[in-house]
Amino acid sequence: MLIFSFFKTLTDQVITVELKNDLSITGTLKSVDQFLNIRLDGISVEDPERHPHMMAVRNCFIRGSVVRYVRMAAKNVDTTLLEDATRREIKDAKK
Amino acid sequence: MDHAAAAQISEPLDLVKLALGERVFIKLRGDRTLTGTLHAYDAHMNLVMSQVEESVHIVDVTDAGQPLPPRVERRNVEMLFVRGDSVILISPAQQ
Amino acid sequence: MDALIPFTTSGSLVDLVDKKVMVILRDGRKLLGVFRSYDQFANFLLESCVERLHYKLEYADTDLGVLLIRGENVVALGEIDLIAEDRVPLIPRPLDEIRTKINEENRRKERDHLIKSKVLETVGFVSDGREGDAY
Repeated sequence: MLIFSFFKTLTDQVITVELKNDLSITGTLKSVDQFLNIRLDGISVEDPERHPHMMAVRNCFIRGSVVRYVRMAAKNVDTTLLEDATRREIKDAKK
Repeated sequence: MDHAAAAQISEPLDLVKLALGERVFIKLRGDRTLTGTLHAYDAHMNLVMSQVEESVHIVDVTDAGQPLPPRVERRNVEMLFVRGDSVILISPAQQ
Repeated sequence: MDALIPFTTSGSLVDLVDKKVMVILRDGRKLLGVFRSYDQFANFLLESCVERLHYKLEYADTDLGVLLIRGENVVALGEIDLIAEDRVPLIPRPLDEIRTKINEENRRKERDHLIKSKVLETVGFVSDGREGDAY
């Protein structure tokens, strides 16, 4: 739940999702679910000449299992809060 | 890790807990490694890290089929989510 | 499995139903069709589906009709912006022409991949198995 909650705090932020097939898509995070499936709006693709099939796509759904990375602005993340939440989640998992 | 006894290490992921807030070295599938500050993780080994340097090890091949010496492409990312199924190992970063 | 997932805001693809979409599969295939149905596994039902083969800015389509796609094979689903689609500079070519170009490209990629893997093994990178489907 921790990472799911983390992504929910990033809704309406611009993120870049890098897939395991090396395709990188930048867009606004519209929603995320417990499987970390992602919906992105207003997308643009890094290296569009290598991925011409994405030219007419403005918004998309990305299956969580194919994500390698999600890159985001550091200012949108409270790292202290994240560390505390992580410690709590581990403690709760052990009870 | 002299505080190991006091910190109650009972499973491998407890070692990762000790690294929260510290620099870590991650080996990933896809010929990649990361060095960054660890802020969050879960049982799937999903990670959230900041001030990350990614190193991708690449081997180019000539038209004739000759491999060139491996080169490393480095990239800096200020805040990064890493999906756990790519993670091979997590270690405190070398000084 | 929570049956309400497709109906929660986060899990919902309901706004894309009946729209023209492109589905990218793990094996690199691109399928275009009308999006009719889905479930919590991201299984998708597409109607009037074509597989589009791309080679640089050229392409060729093959008709596939109605397709049920198993979710584990799905990379992404994108809504096709019908206005943008008209402006896209893609050039249709005969199917065999595109197939030949793609096969040549793939042969090269496969040969290179074997050579690369051997070298990368010597510096500590092994490519056994795929990145998993953790969920």
